[in-house]
This record gives sequence, structure tokens and C-alpha cells, in this order.
Amino acid sequence: MKSTRRFFHRLFHSATRRAEEERLREEIAEHLALQTEENLRAGLPPVEARRQAMLKFGSVEAMKQDYRAERGLVFIENLLGDLRNAGRSIGRMPRLAAVIILSLAIGIGVNTAIFSWIQLMLFEPMPGVSGASNFLLVEPHSETGGYPGASWLEYRDLQTQVPALRNIVAFQMVPFNVGERGKTERTFGQLVSGNYFSALGLKPAIGRFIRPDEVERSGTELVIVISYDYWQRRFGGAPGAVGQKVRVNERDLVIIGVAPEGFQGTTTPLKFELWAPATLMPVLLGGVRDLDDRSTRTFSLIGMLRQGATREEAQAELTTTMAQLARNYPEASAGIGGEILSFWESPRGPQRLMMSGLAILQGVMLLLLLAVCGNTANLMLARGSTRQREMAVRMALGAGRWRIASLVLSENMLLAVLGAGLGAAFAVWGTTALRLAPMIGAFPILFQTRVDEFTLAFAILLGIACGLIFSAAPAVHLAKLDPQEGLRSGSNTPPRSRARKVLMGAEVGLAMVVLIAAALFLQSFRTAHQTDPRFHPDGVLLAAYDLSGRNRDDASEREFAARLLERLRSLPDVEAAAIATNVPLDLHGIPARSFTVQGRVRTEPGQDRAIFNTVTPGYFKVMTIPLLEGDDFAEMRDKAAPAQAIVNEEFVRRYLDGADAIGRSIQTRAGSFAIVGVARNSVYDAFGEPAQPAVYFSYRDIPASQGEIHLRTRSGLETTLASEARAVLRDLDPMLPLYDVRTFSQHIERNLFLRRIPARMFVVLGPLLLGLAAMGIYAVVSYAVVRRTREIGVRLAFGATSGRVVLQIIRENLGVITRGAAIGWVLAFVISIHAITKGVVNLPVFIGVPALLLGVATLACWIPARRASRIDPMVALRYE
Amino acid sequence: MKQKTDVLQGTLALMVLKTLDVLGPQHGYGIARRIEQISGDLLAVNQGTLYPVLLRLEQEGAIASAWGASENNRRARFYRLTREGRKQLRVETQDWEQTAAIIGRFFEAKAEDLS
Repeated sequence: MKSTRRFFHRLFHSATRRAEEERLREEIAEHLALQTEENLRAGLPPVEARRQAMLKFGSVEAMKQDYRAERGLVFIENLLGDLRNAGRSIGRMPRLAAVIILSLAIGIGVNTAIFSWIQLMLFEPMPGVSGASNFLLVEPHSETGGYPGASWLEYRDLQTQVPALRNIVAFQMVPFNVGERGKTERTFGQLVSGNYFSALGLKPAIGRFIRPDEVERSGTELVIVISYDYWQRRFGGAPGAVGQKVRVNERDLVIIGVAPEGFQGTTTPLKFELWAPATLMPVLLGGVRDLDDRSTRTFSLIGMLRQGATREEAQAELTTTMAQLARNYPEASAGIGGEILSFWESPRGPQRLMMSGLAILQGVMLLLLLAVCGNTANLMLARGSTRQREMAVRMALGAGRWRIASLVLSENMLLAVLGAGLGAAFAVWGTTALRLAPMIGAFPILFQTRVDEFTLAFAILLGIACGLIFSAAPAVHLAKLDPQEGLRSGSNTPPRSRARKVLMGAEVGLAMVVLIAAALFLQSFRTAHQTDPRFHPDGVLLAAYDLSGRNRDDASEREFAARLLERLRSLPDVEAAAIATNVPLDLHGIPARSFTVQGRVRTEPGQDRAIFNTVTPGYFKVMTIPLLEGDDFAEMRDKAAPAQAIVNEEFVRRYLDGADAIGRSIQTRAGSFAIVGVARNSVYDAFGEPAQPAVYFSYRDIPASQGEIHLRTRSGLETTLASEARAVLRDLDPMLPLYDVRTFSQHIERNLFLRRIPARMFVVLGPLLLGLAAMGIYAVVSYAVVRRTREIGVRLAFGATSGRVVLQIIRENLGVITRGAAIGWVLAFVISIHAITKGVVNLPVFIGVPALLLGVATLACWIPARRASRIDPMVALRYE
Repeated sequence: MKQKTDVLQGTLALMVLKTLDVLGPQHGYGIARRIEQISGDLLAVNQGTLYPVLLRLEQEGAIASAWGASENNRRARFYRLTREGRKQLRVETQDWEQTAAIIGRFFEAKAEDLS
């Protein structure tokens, strides 16, 4: 108690030093006066009386020292003193300080922004849901390594058979056409299990949520929950919205409630507007039988651990259950196990893309920050060496080495903390901008970013770490200084410093690694544009239609597609037209399904799987995928031909060992199909993917209610076709909207959206790093040159040309730079061979980047060298 | 060396407290005079050492100080004992007496007493 009270007193007094000092002075004066009077009374002469009083009091200065030590905290006083000193010292170098603070702020700001993102993905993966990070993913996991999702029936089984998890929730993303006929709007919603809202612990803004019994009774409860934003947008937040009907996929659904503000669904970073009972699926999606089909795995599952249960228990139960399901339903579940994963470990979908992108970004940005630190250390070291004399004087006057080091440290810390503060401001600004930026794309994306106390702590921590990193070298350097040496040298010229050169080399090496990484990243992204997807997306227009909810059957669907194609092909600008159920390079991928093919006996357990796409005749012409063998599908209205399939090269290689494919039959759940052709491999899910086996079926055999229209233009201006296509469709069915009209390039572009974010950041990062490296080199060389002014003067006086002087300075520094660059280059080379390109070396990058870097480095050397060489020898010799 | 000042400071603090207890509010010089009178030599050399001790006691809350007028009407800082200081004085007096008693007994003890 006593000591804490005293501590606070002292802390306080550290700040109010001046007033205290005054009080003590007065007290001493008073004391001496009283003693002198006493002495006078005792009969001493005035001078002697005063002298005796002073003697009796003792050394005033020593006492003051004691007094001060008692009064404040010496440590804090020193610190405050150092900080004042640091402030002054920074004030003396405003430009250098600005450069340092700004570069630190950029480095720290970027890192903080990314950290805030990652942190939210980790701790609050579902905006609006508190404790969302406690949810675990329940992911079926196929033996081939894929994560196919769960079927509805599987979900029902897992719900009861994994007791370690309570409240397993199922949801699935679906497109909805909302609104009256003719003016429908396309939006995305989730089909959810009955316990969805209760398990997430949500409270409706108004109304109520979907009840479990409404999901239990299949397809009879036409209810829907809308998002807060949708409520505000469409109903102006009126409470009367509850009970109103909205038309969704041609069905009237009753709004029963509004989700709380901020809730955007359970697939970050996507934002959903509507939630309907999962069992409405057949009603809303035109009679799909997914609810009864174990092999249609379209649901995602999440659940929370029961009180006291461990993740291991849940995993064990899941494994047992999945094994049992695999035994009971071999055709749908063989070879499929299950995994319990944390939310951020999501193995598929947008979460996965986000998380891996962010992790890479954070790593690279930390490297950038390290480079900034190196740079700053270099600048401070260069500056520090001009202060050797000052430090020597301080040491000679009795400052300890620790005091000298702490002087330097506090100066750097002040810079670092200022940088961190500014960086945090950048992060706040950046994340706000990101959140407000409109996200154009096929999917409504809403990034939840926020800067909270964790993030700020991270920024400050980074700042302190940076400060320590870039203080270390200068502090050690100065503390090792011999005061006599420092004073005797009698000039302000800094001595040679190996540390600076090593730092410069290291920095160049780091810049090399990051620049090469950036270039590789950028190039892989550009290859994503430029590599041949093995079909021609240019000049193709895509548009979707959906007959769901109509009175229709296979025959009418087939007829609709046939008529639509006839009309479209008759348009003068259309070179070829086709309809397909799936479009390659979609964000969500094309489904792979199981089949058996005649002439193949599978030896290992499980099933053969291939990508399934159902297309109309003419599809291969639109896509310009050549048929290597056989012919295109029979015409749509051909009633005679048997059911047909076309497979790709990879299918033949993998499942038929390259044997003749034509004429063999494929068995799927939909029936038996005869292979009539072999198509060339093309890209299905992602650029650069390994070849995937694929089977194409014909719309003639398996008509579908939805279709993606593919139109190839004659003119190459595919956008002009949109209105014509719309007119055709309106002609055929005035109530049917044509939605999601886009060029194939746009389609690809959209789906690369998430991948593009890191690529864009690299574009910014690369030049930034190059600039930093150049700055570092410039600083080192210009200080070295100043140090050698006299030497240069002598050379010039003895007849050296300025060109020679410049050349020599560049050569000396370039030696160090080249060594650093070479180390970085080798490092990047090894990493790239082992990790990224797997043996393929990207020569332009590995030659171009070093060339650029060395070019910039030479320039950074040349500028100060040239300045030095222009010096007048006479001036240089008088310099000291 | 350090230990010596510590001991001195400790005893000095006790003396200050006792002085203020007996005489009531006093300025620094008054306290110094009083201690000097009673202790003779101890403080004769360095009256200045009193001030750090006063400060320390004030920070601990044992004494409080305020400006006032000295006997010859000059501005002087007067120290007075607080309630807490009185308590501290009581405790420390007790401690001191106990310590002194023990030490005293040690000095009185003869060889045969210990065998």
C-alpha cells in the first residue's frame, strides 16, 4: 500500500519537476537563513555565521541529488528526457524523419489491414453471429482428396449420429429470381435447415424465423426470411413487411421475419438476402430431387461442440458414421469419409480462396515491412555515424553505454511509434474504403473489415518490433564507441561501417525475393488470362434462362431449347449457338459425378468420377473444342438415336487406357449412354489445372429447366447480341427473364475476382519495394561519399577525371549489392522450383527482375557519386 | 556504504516522526534543531540529509506539509504528523524497542548464560 502510494507520488512528481525544484530551493534558503540568524545570535560575525550554516547543512548539490532520487523515478525522468531529446533530434531532420515515418506507416498500415481481415476470418467468420468461431465445419471428404459437400439425407443422418456436436446446421447457396413476372431481379439466398437461426443464436429484427417443423414437412410451408438490408431497401423498414408475399422463382412466399442487422449468411464473404426452408428446394428449383438423392452433395454443414465434448470425439463419431453410411449406401457414399474442420480451414468455396490469399499477402507484407526496417536501420546508422562526436562528448561527461543506447533507442522508438500510429490510421482508412467499395461480380460480396483494439495492438506491436529491429544496429554501434577515439579523430567524418553495407546487401536480396515473387504471381495471374483455356472465350456471349416453376416436362423443356436454338441461330450475327447446364471456369466449379463405363473394372473401392456437363448439339462448335473422334450429338428433335455421350481425351486415357471409346456405353443414375465422340481436353475449373476427365451429355436425352445460352458472334462484338437474344426469348415466352447476361470474358473475369485481389496488391507492392531498396542504397552511398570527400578531392587534384571517380564509387557499392542480389536470386530460384512452378523456370522473370533491380541500384549509386565527383578539389581539401 | 545511509535514513525517519509527535507542526529547520539537540552529534554535520527523508515520509503519507509563517515571519514549509504517521510511529516505536531490547540482552549475555 505504502509503496504503491509512493510510486504514484513519484510518477506524478516526475512530471511536475520544475515546481518541486522551486519548493526545495526555497526550503533550503529558509533553513540557511534560520541557521544563520541562530549563529548571529551566538555571536558570530555575519560572514562566518553564513559559512557555518552552510557547513552544517552539508553539500547542497549532493543533497539535491538524493532529494531528486527520492522524489521522482529516475528511470522515467530519463525516459522523458530521452523522448524530449528524440523529439528535438527528429525535428532537426524533418525530411529524413518524414521518409522513415511514411515508409513505416505504409508497411504497418498494410499489415494491419490484412491482419484485421484475417482476424475477422478467424474470430468472427460469420458477421452478425456472436461466437461464430466456435462453429466447426463438418465436411465430407472423398478419398480422392476432394470435399464434395453433404447431401440432405446425409445431413439428417449426421444430425442424430454425431452426438458430440449439437445443432448441426445445413445450408446451401441458391440463385433466386425475385419479383413479379417480367421484372424479376436475380439475387442469392440460402436454403437452410430448420435449426439454422436458432443454432446461430440469432434474434429476428422483426417477425420470427423458420421453425423446425416448417422444414420437417416437405415443401408445404411457403415461408421466407429476408435480410435486414433487403427489408430496408424494399420495404423501407416498415413492420408491415412481415406477412407480405414475395414472388420467388415463380412462387409466392410469405415473409415471416427479418434477419438481424449485419447478418449476411454463413458463407463469408458472400452476402445473402433471403433464407428459405431447405425442403422448399423441389418447389423453388423446379422439382429437383436433391432432397432424396444421396449422391447430390450440395449442402454445407456446420455445428458446435456439445458442452464437454472434444473435437477428437466429434471426429471419431463422424468417421464411424460416415463409414457406416458408406456401407449402407455404397453407390453414393463409398470412399467418402468426413472431417471436422475449423471455420477458417474451409477446404472449398470463397472462404478458402479468401483465407489462402490473405495468408500469402500477410507473409509478403511482413517481408516488405522487414525491408522497410532494414532501410530505416541503414538510414539511422548513416545518420548515427555523423553523431559520433556528440556521443563521444556525452560519454566523456559520464553517460553510461546503456544511456547512449537508450538515447538512440528512444529516438528510433519515437519514429516507430509515430509510424505505427499513422499506419493504423492508414489501416482504418483502407479497410473502410474496402468495405464501401462496390463489389462488381456475379456474387454479392461484402467484406467485413474492422479495426478494433486487437488490430491496433497489432499495429503498435509491429511498430515496437520494427523500432527494436532498426535500433539494434545503430545502438550497438554507438555504444561500442570509444569516447577518446571519437573525440580525437577531431572531425565529423563517419568511419567506415561494415554494418551498413551488410544491411544494404540484405535489403537488396530481400527486394529481389519479393520482386521475383511479385512478378511470378503477376505472371501466373496474367497467364490465367493468356493461357489457352483450350476453348475460345472471345466473341462468346453467355446468358441464362430458367423455366423452374413452370408446368413442364422433359418434352416441353426439350422443345423449348430446340426452338430457342433455332431462333437464335437464325439471327444474322450469330455464328453458332448452344445451351449448356454448366459454364467452365465458374467460381463454384462444375459438378463431378460417378458413373461406370463398359470395359472397365475398378480395382480399388469407391467410384469413377468425371465432370458432367449437359449440352446441346453445336456446343463444341461454339466453344471451338475440336472433336478428335466421332461426331457431335444428334439433333434435338431426333427421336431415333439412342442416348448419347461424348467424353474427353483424359477420360479415355484414365478410364479406358487409351482404347477405342466410340460405341462403349456409360452408366449413370440417369441411364445408359453410348459414347459417340471424343473431345479434346479443355479447362473446366481453373486455369492451369491438371487435365480432368469429363463427360458431356445431350440436352436431347437429359433436358433441363435451366440453361446457359452460349452464342458465338460473327462480328466479334458479342455485346451487341444481348438485346437481340432478349427479344428472341421474350418472343418465345414473354414472362421469362434472360438473366446474368455477360460475355465469356466477363464471366472468367468475375470468377477470378478473388484471385485478383492479391495480384493487384503485388502490382503496388513491387514498385514500392524497388523504391525502398533504391532509397536505402542512395542513403548508404551518399553518406559514404560524404565521408570520403577529402579522398575524392585528392584524387581529383591529382588528375583523376570525374568519370573515373563516379565509376569507382559505383563499382565498390555495386559489389555489395550484387552479392545481396545474387543470394536473393538463388533463394527465390530454389523456392520457385520447389514450391511454385515445380521445375519450370520462368526465365523472363528470373532475368528481367535482376536486370531491373541492378539498373535501379546503379542509378541510386550514380546520383550521389556524380554529385561527389563534381566537387571542387580545393573545396574538398579544405573540407575539414 | 549504501546500507549505512539506509540505516541512518530509517532512524532519521523515526526521529522526525517522534519530533513532530512531541512538538507538533514544525519547519525543516525546527526539526533539524530538535534532533540535533537531542541526538547531539548525529546530525551536526549534514542537516541537508533531512530533506530527502521528509520528502519520502510525505510521499508515504506519514506527514503532510503546508506553507506557513515562521517565528520571524518568513515563508516556511511546515510539516505535521498525519493520522497514518501516528500509527506508523506507534508501530515503529514498538519495533524499535523490541529490537533494542533484544540487542541489549545480547550485549548483557555472558558466556556461561549460553552454555
